[in-house]
Amino acid sequence: MDSLLRTFADQTINGLVIGNIYAFIAVGLALIFGVGNLINFAHGSIFMVGAYVGWVCVTWWGLPLFTAFLVTTLVCALLGVIIERFALYPLRSAPPIAPLLATIGVSFMIDQAVQIIFTPNPQAFPNPLLAYRFQVGGVTVGAIDLLIAGIGVATAAALYLFLRFTQWGWALRATAQDREAAQQMGVDVVAVNRMTFAIASALGGIAGLLVGMYFNTVYPTMSFQATLKGFAAVVLGGLGNVPGAVLGGLLLGLIESYGVAIFGATYRNLFAFVILIAVLVWRPNGIFTNQRRTAPEPLTGTFIARSRPVHIPAWAIAALTVAALALPFFAPNPYLLQILTNAWLLGMVALSVTLVTGTAGQTSLGQAGFMAIGAYASALLTQRLGWPFELSLLASALVSAVIGVLLVLPAFRLRAVYIAIATLAIGEIVNQVILNWDSLTNGAMGITNIAPPSLFGWQAIRPHEIYWFTLVLLILAALVQHRLVRSPLGRTWRALREDEVAAQAFGIDLNRYKTLVFAVAAFIAGLSGAVTGHMYSYISHETFTNTTSILVLTMVILGGMGNLLGAIVGAVALTALPELFRGLADYRYLIYGLTLLLLIRFRPQGLLGTD
Amino acid sequence: MHKRTRFYLRVLLMTAVSLLLAACAVPIQPAAQTAPPSAGQTSAQTAEPIYIGVSGPLTGPNARYGEQWKKGFDLALEEINGAGGVNGRPLEYIFEDSQSDPKQSVVVAQKFVADPRIIVELGDFASPASMAASPIYQRGGLVQFGFTNSHPDFTNAGGEYTWSNSVTQAQASPALADYAVTDLGLDKLAVFYLNTDWGKSSYDLFAQRVEELGAEIVASEAYLPEEKDFRSALTRAREAAPNGLVLISYQADGALIAQQVAQAGLDVPIVGASSLQSPDFLNLGGEAVEGVYIRGQFLPTDPRPHVKPVVDRYIAKYNETPDFFAIHAYDTMKLIAQAIELGGATREGVLAGLKQVKDVPSVIYETANFDPETRRVVDPQFVNLQVVDGEFVLWDGVKPNTQ
Repeated sequence: MDSLLRTFADQTINGLVIGNIYAFIAVGLALIFGVGNLINFAHGSIFMVGAYVGWVCVTWWGLPLFTAFLVTTLVCALLGVIIERFALYPLRSAPPIAPLLATIGVSFMIDQAVQIIFTPNPQAFPNPLLAYRFQVGGVTVGAIDLLIAGIGVATAAALYLFLRFTQWGWALRATAQDREAAQQMGVDVVAVNRMTFAIASALGGIAGLLVGMYFNTVYPTMSFQATLKGFAAVVLGGLGNVPGAVLGGLLLGLIESYGVAIFGATYRNLFAFVILIAVLVWRPNGIFTNQRRTAPEPLTGTFIARSRPVHIPAWAIAALTVAALALPFFAPNPYLLQILTNAWLLGMVALSVTLVTGTAGQTSLGQAGFMAIGAYASALLTQRLGWPFELSLLASALVSAVIGVLLVLPAFRLRAVYIAIATLAIGEIVNQVILNWDSLTNGAMGITNIAPPSLFGWQAIRPHEIYWFTLVLLILAALVQHRLVRSPLGRTWRALREDEVAAQAFGIDLNRYKTLVFAVAAFIAGLSGAVTGHMYSYISHETFTNTTSILVLTMVILGGMGNLLGAIVGAVALTALPELFRGLADYRYLIYGLTLLLLIRFRPQGLLGTD
Repeated sequence: MHKRTRFYLRVLLMTAVSLLLAACAVPIQPAAQTAPPSAGQTSAQTAEPIYIGVSGPLTGPNARYGEQWKKGFDLALEEINGAGGVNGRPLEYIFEDSQSDPKQSVVVAQKFVADPRIIVELGDFASPASMAASPIYQRGGLVQFGFTNSHPDFTNAGGEYTWSNSVTQAQASPALADYAVTDLGLDKLAVFYLNTDWGKSSYDLFAQRVEELGAEIVASEAYLPEEKDFRSALTRAREAAPNGLVLISYQADGALIAQQVAQAGLDVPIVGASSLQSPDFLNLGGEAVEGVYIRGQFLPTDPRPHVKPVVDRYIAKYNETPDFFAIHAYDTMKLIAQAIELGGATREGVLAGLKQVKDVPSVIYETANFDPETRRVVDPQFVNLQVVDGEFVLWDGVKPNTQ
């Protein structure tokens, strides 16, 4: 019993320390969301830069820890201001989804730049504090734990005092509450926005430095996981709610720590994200707010830019389709055909995202999860039950639709950003279940020897065959979706996007139509996943990751929300660009990020405009 | 009627134009990154080079492994080309970045298969990327030599053209168990393993052998590759009172676990898989990895003649100690050169050559032989190592103190 108590105390301390770090990241995200209404995907990158700046200060220049903290704070604040000024400020009157894409581009650039400067190797962050540990009543506490806790409390207090008692703090809160009203009262919202970025980035940088010290390591790819956990903490605490973000971070740390203690380390993320979904369902405003229901957010409607889609005449679309179909006769280069095959497969997923996000206004960041369900369903049906491919392809898409709807069902009450984060969590949950359900999915070993796609004896093996197969599937999916979107059903979906309350007042059963739209989307994504799996011949839980989900959303934003042709154009562009940049070697993804940034800067409504 | 004709005319015209554009665009292959010409080329310089394709991560989360590969390849090429190349022709490689992402590795595979200059391919790094590309290499009749692919099904799933000189878990894991149980005398083990195809299959084979040896695994913990905080899991393992901790980990996570072991109040000897044997493990781990036992495959300070000269040359060239991945890349390049010499500088020649190679000199295996059926190395060697004073040394044979 005594040892159980000691374990419990130890796990609590573990959870609080790691939770403190999550809290730092979450506060930055919450501030930026509150003031700028923006999910900042570059936040993890700033966090990583903070870790590197601290590392350079300590190991290269031999600066004392305190100075290292100061330098990190200043550099990261400056970086935040630069990002705001050059990537986001020019987009201030663009649709709200444009800055989100800009932050994705910025994070690509920062990650790659750090990798080029400091090499991709992890660097040791020697930390003298790690050696000091105390025994307090049988519980072990380290000096570093106390340092993290101390800085956490001090920063939280400073932030509180700043927000509560200074004029700038009032201005910040006023802007967060109502941007237009604040502006009319004479608040310089542009300056407030920039200051928010500086503060949030400084906090992110400090978190990076602390993480680097705590884990004794810094490396360029530490950013993405940090962003993910930061989001989870923010949602737990309630979006745009600073004390909530702190508590959400601590809570997430504790949940993970106890979860690992009871179930094991491999369930860490599964546990965290299941809790996240549960919280979203029961307390969509976060655990630490009084309101039970989310206020009708203006975001849902205005997420879509008011712009006209670029008109592309029917003859041009017909010609491009014919040209695409005839391409293998004229350019039988397998390299080119494989790139386009990937583009067709991702194009199908982009279609599904543009349907959910563009037409029905439900931002989805979990589409790779549906691809994974489709791929595993088809691989298992053909391999274990000996089903023919034609049948398993349809069945797996159906499986994906059914499981997809069941997974998203609890999130139907949520809107806009909440549903984006809920779907992100769902994608992660799918991967974690695949990894841990050994008896069904073969766990981490993956599934080998999946047969190539075939239709009634004809096998799609050679590059042009699989090219045609995927292209025809894409065309079919696009035609079906075009019909759906132009039908009364499509109009209902758009009504849902524009104003849920008004739609409901007109007697539209929201859940029914959300079910339908997610079912169609998961069906198409599952179809694409199944074909991908059969093309690869090997799949594992690492084949369809949430980076793919983000990539697909990027394609859709780039092409123009809700625009079918735009989704396909976006898919082709973003599949081909990294290939075009091959000659740039290490600079490939730096240029890719820059291209994204410039495209969204000059075409914030997407290449082909929103529909 | 008139309107409809115009519509079809436009479709026809547009189709023709876009196809023409596409056909023109195709021959423009993006410039590939080729190896820098090595010093000391004389006669080999004039002849047409022999090209090897490499598909691996140069950007993205696994970029560091691609960097190590390059160093190993370059050192090997310097020697090969310095001695006149292969059959009088210089050997060069074309490294295409795949980020070890299956979406990109299949594209790279098509590119290599379509490029008649490429006669053999090396890589990719992780299983999802490597095994998605295998069917393309197999159908294209291009040997895929996956030198880091320890997935037990890698060569089986691929087929005749899929080869590997990586040790499989079926060979490495029982050897690790022998070291921990028989040599070090640890009989109540806590095992931490990466929950990936490599970690999982290693663990299963390890556990099987431990049982055969009559020892017991009292706690086992699978963890995710991106895991950083092991204190909770270590605290959990502590409750099972093990007398040894076994790490089936990579370098960064292995070092993190070793550091957090003390923080979690778990004080037992640590035994690690060969993947931990890297300078990074020592740098990242610092004090905490002192005394860690490793069932290794290669020791940089090994004085034997098949190791020392190569390591010395490596240090002279890069001013750092080579890790396992760099030396593996070096070995592979030398092996491929020999296969080309035996079978000829064609795709079929490489396959024929690989079937013939015998007793290839190797830094890791001393001499390597392949089983043409499994297309894997036969009977690989292992060495018992320990970290002493921040360096890997041969284990002195003294069993750790277990209470």
